[in-house]
Amino acid sequence: MSSGPFTKLPFSDVLERRWLHYAFITVDGRQAMIANFAMLGDENGAEPTQTSVLLMYHRDHGWTCSQWHAQQGRELWTSYGSRAFVPVDPLEPNFEVQSLAGTPSVSLRLTGTTTPAPAGVGHFHGTHWKRWQAQPGVLATGQWADGMAPSRQTAAVGYHERVHGRWGWPEMGGWVFGFCNQLADRVEGPPNWAVVFALLQPRDERQNHRAMVMLWRRGRMVLYIPRRGVRVSVAGQLPRDRVLATPGLARLLDTSATAPIPAALCIDGYQGRDWIQINYRCRSAARLVVPSETSFQPFSVHEVVGDMEVRVRMRDSNAVFTSPGIVEFAGGASERTWSALQ
Amino acid sequence: MLSNKPGYGAQLELEARDVSVRLIQDAADLLAQTIDILVQRAPSIAAAAACEMGSIVLALHFGDGSNATLSARLNSLAIARTQANATVECFFNDLSLVRLYDLELRPSQVLEQGAFDVRGPADQVLAVWRTFRLLSQRAAGLRPVQSLWRAYRLARNLNFEVPPKDRIHEPGPGSDPPDAAALLRDSESVHAQSASVATTRVLWDRNAGQGWWTFGGPQDADLFDVMEVCRRHVADKIFALIPNRRPVDSLYGLMREYPERGGKGLRPTLCVATCGAFGGHREDAVLIAAAVEMFHNAFLIHDDIEDESIRRRGKRCLHTEHGIPLAVNTGDSLNLLAVETVLRNIDGLGLARTLALIEEIIHMCRESLEGQAIELGWIRKAVVPTRDADYINMVSKKTGWYTTRSPCRLGAIAAGHTRPYELDLIGSVFREVGVAFQIQDDVLNLLGEEGLYGKEALGDLLEGKRTLMLIHLMRTITKGERTELLRWLSSPRDDRSLTESREVLHMMTRNGSIEYARGAAAKYAARGAQLFEKTLSFIPESEDKAILRQVIHYVNTRML
Repeated sequence: MSSGPFTKLPFSDVLERRWLHYAFITVDGRQAMIANFAMLGDENGAEPTQTSVLLMYHRDHGWTCSQWHAQQGRELWTSYGSRAFVPVDPLEPNFEVQSLAGTPSVSLRLTGTTTPAPAGVGHFHGTHWKRWQAQPGVLATGQWADGMAPSRQTAAVGYHERVHGRWGWPEMGGWVFGFCNQLADRVEGPPNWAVVFALLQPRDERQNHRAMVMLWRRGRMVLYIPRRGVRVSVAGQLPRDRVLATPGLARLLDTSATAPIPAALCIDGYQGRDWIQINYRCRSAARLVVPSETSFQPFSVHEVVGDMEVRVRMRDSNAVFTSPGIVEFAGGASERTWSALQ
Repeated sequence: MLSNKPGYGAQLELEARDVSVRLIQDAADLLAQTIDILVQRAPSIAAAAACEMGSIVLALHFGDGSNATLSARLNSLAIARTQANATVECFFNDLSLVRLYDLELRPSQVLEQGAFDVRGPADQVLAVWRTFRLLSQRAAGLRPVQSLWRAYRLARNLNFEVPPKDRIHEPGPGSDPPDAAALLRDSESVHAQSASVATTRVLWDRNAGQGWWTFGGPQDADLFDVMEVCRRHVADKIFALIPNRRPVDSLYGLMREYPERGGKGLRPTLCVATCGAFGGHREDAVLIAAAVEMFHNAFLIHDDIEDESIRRRGKRCLHTEHGIPLAVNTGDSLNLLAVETVLRNIDGLGLARTLALIEEIIHMCRESLEGQAIELGWIRKAVVPTRDADYINMVSKKTGWYTTRSPCRLGAIAAGHTRPYELDLIGSVFREVGVAFQIQDDVLNLLGEEGLYGKEALGDLLEGKRTLMLIHLMRTITKGERTELLRWLSSPRDDRSLTESREVLHMMTRNGSIEYARGAAAKYAARGAQLFEKTLSFIPESEDKAILRQVIHYVNTRML
C-alpha cells in the first residue's frame, strides 16, 4: 500500500529511516541549496521523529545552515508516489522551508523534468538495507534567502531523492553520492545532460559495495552502468579550512574529527562500447553532523560543492560537458568510538 | 555567523612547488642529499626507515662507481661517503636506482637481472628491502625528493620516466583505473597543504572497495615548509596586534625585536596542526598561537636577564642592547598583550572555548614558572641534581608545557575539544616530545653552529645551566673533579672563562655525557612516537596529523 513517496506501514524500529532529499545549484553556478527531511523510527512504536535541515552555499560568502528543525510551509513537492502535491496556481510555491531564525529560507516552485532512475538497493550487515531512488533535472524558481547575500528571485536546477531503509550508522560505513546537471542560462525543460552516481560502502564488507552511474539526455535516462562496470578513485585532501561543521550546534559540542574528504574524485564506467568518465574537483564542503543511535561517534555527511567535467561516448559519438555539481562524502560513525578509549 | 568564505585560512595553505636542487655529483651524493631532505623535512620517514634498518650497516655501490655507507643512528639515518664494515652490501645501476623511487612502478619492475643486487644474511637483506620499499613509498611522495630525483634523471639522461597518464582515457574492461591525482596535478590552484604529492586511491575497482575515509598507511608532510608558513603567518598576526602607538623607542619598537628575529615556528605549527587534526579550521588556532608566541618571547626576555645571556637568535639580547629595566618592561608588556590576544578569541571561537583557552594558558604559565624556579633555585643554591628524573621533571615543566604540550592542547581546544581526557592524551605524547626537544636544545648549545643556533657558544656552561650532560658528568667523574666542577659552577658568571667552559665540554665528551644526552633525547622522541601511534589513533589520518608525526622526530634531529 503506497500513497506518497513512502509506504504507509508503521516504522518497525529505531533504525528505520525514510528521507526526502533535495539539492539545487543556481543557474549562474554561484549558489547551492541542500535540504533533507527525515522520519526516524521509534523503538516503542511511537510517532516517528522528524528532522529537517536546510543548508545553503554562496560562492562569495560560504555556508549557512538551519538547525535540525527547519520549518516547512506545507506538504513538500515530490515526484514519487501517487499523491504529489500539485498546486493549481502555476506560480504558487510548492517547496517552502526556513530556519527558525528566519534565514536561511527558500520559497520555491519545483518541477520535475526527467524520468526518475531505477531504485538502487544495498543489503549489508545481515538485516540492514538501504533503498534509494534519484531524479536529476528538477527545476526550481522562486525566492532564495541565505542571510548572507540579499534575498532574491532565482532559478536553479537540482536533484531529488527518496531514501528508505533500516540501518545503523556504524554498519553503514559510508557512501559517495553525487549529481550534475548541465546548466543553461534559462530554466526551461530538462537539462541537456545530467549525471547521477552512487557508491555505497558498508563497513567491513569490501566486496559488497554498491556502485552505479546513470546518464540522462534531455530528460530521458540513456545510460545505466551497474557496479561491475564502474570504478571510483579519489586523491588529495580538501583542507580543513574549506569544511564547515554544521549545524552550528555541532561546533559547540566537542564533535569528533572525521577523516579529511578527498580533493578530487574520478569515476569511470563502461557498458558495451559506451563509456563515461567523470572528473570532479571539490571546492568547499559543509559537514552535516548526524547523531548516531548506536554509537558514540556521529555520522557525517559532507555536502561538497565543486566543478564536474563529464565525458561520454555513446553510440559511437562523443560528448563533453562541464558544470558545477554536488557530491556527498558520508561516513565516520564506524571510526573508533570514544567509549572504547576509556 | 556560520559562513566559511572560500579562501578562509588560505594563507595557511601551501602552494605545491618544486624545490631548487643543488648540484648532484654522483649517485652517492644523490642518496646523501635525499637523506638530508628527509631529516630536515620529514624526519618521521627517516625514523621509520631507521627502525627497519636496526643495527645493519649497509654498503651501497652504484653504477657510476661511487660508494656510500648507510646506517641508522638515534632514530634517524646517517650516510657516509666512506666505506665501513658493512653487514649488507647492495649494488644499483642507474636505472634501478631511479626506478626504485618512482611512485608509478611496482617493486617487481625494479628487479631486473644485473640491475640490482643485495647480499648479506637473509633476515638483514629482507630488512634492507623493507627499508627501500618504505623509502620508495613514503619519501618519494615528497615534492622536494621528486625534484631532486628528477634533476638527477635529467642530468644523467635517464629518460625512462613514465609518461604522464592521459586523463582522457577510454574506460573499458582492460583500462587503467581513473587517475584522480592527475586532476590535482593539472590544476594551477592546487592547494597541497604540504609538499607531499597526492596519489590516487581506488575506492571501487569493479570487484572490491575501500572506504573513502581509510588511508593505506601513515600520512606524511613536509614539515620544513609547514613550519615556515605557520611561523610567518603567526608573526604577521603578532605585528598586527602590537599597538601602533608611542613610546616606540622604549616599548612598542622593543616588543617587535624578538619576534622579528624569527625562530623555528615550532609552537605555531603545533597549535595550527593540532587544531586541523582535531577537525578544526587552521585559521581558528592562529590567534592563540600568536598569544603563545608572545608569552614565549616575554619569557625569553626575562629568561635572558635571569640567565645573564648575551645572544639570542643571532643578535645581542634585549637587556644587553637596551638595559635591564627596559627589557623587563618590554617582557611585561608582551605578557599583557598575550593575555589580550587570548581574550580576542571570544569573537571567533566563542566564550566557552575562550574560557578553556584561558584555563590552559594559566596552567601553562604556572608550570613554566615552576620549572624556571626549580632551575634558578639549583643555581642559586649551587646544587646539581644527581638523578635524571629531577632534570626531566624540571624541563617538562619549564619547556615541555609551553613548547609542546600546551600548544597542542590549545590547538585542540581551538578546534572545539575540551574534554580533559582527550587533552591529557595528546599532552602525554607531547610531554615526551618536549623533554626530547629540551635535551637536544642543550646539546645544540654546546655543539651547534652559533650562526645557525643563534645563541652564544657554550652559553649554557657559562650560565651554569643544569643540563642532562652536566648531571651525567657529575655522576661519572671522580669526587675531586666533582668538587672542583661544583666550585667552578658556583662562581659568578663573569669569573667563568670560555677556556674553562671548553675544558668542561671536553670532560663531557670524554665521559660520554654528550652521547648519553643524545641517546636520551632519541629515547624520549621514540617513546613519544610510540605513544602517538598508540594513544592518538582516535584522531583520523590527515595532513595535519602527519605534521604532528613529523614534529616528534624533528625535535631530536634538528640542527637549530
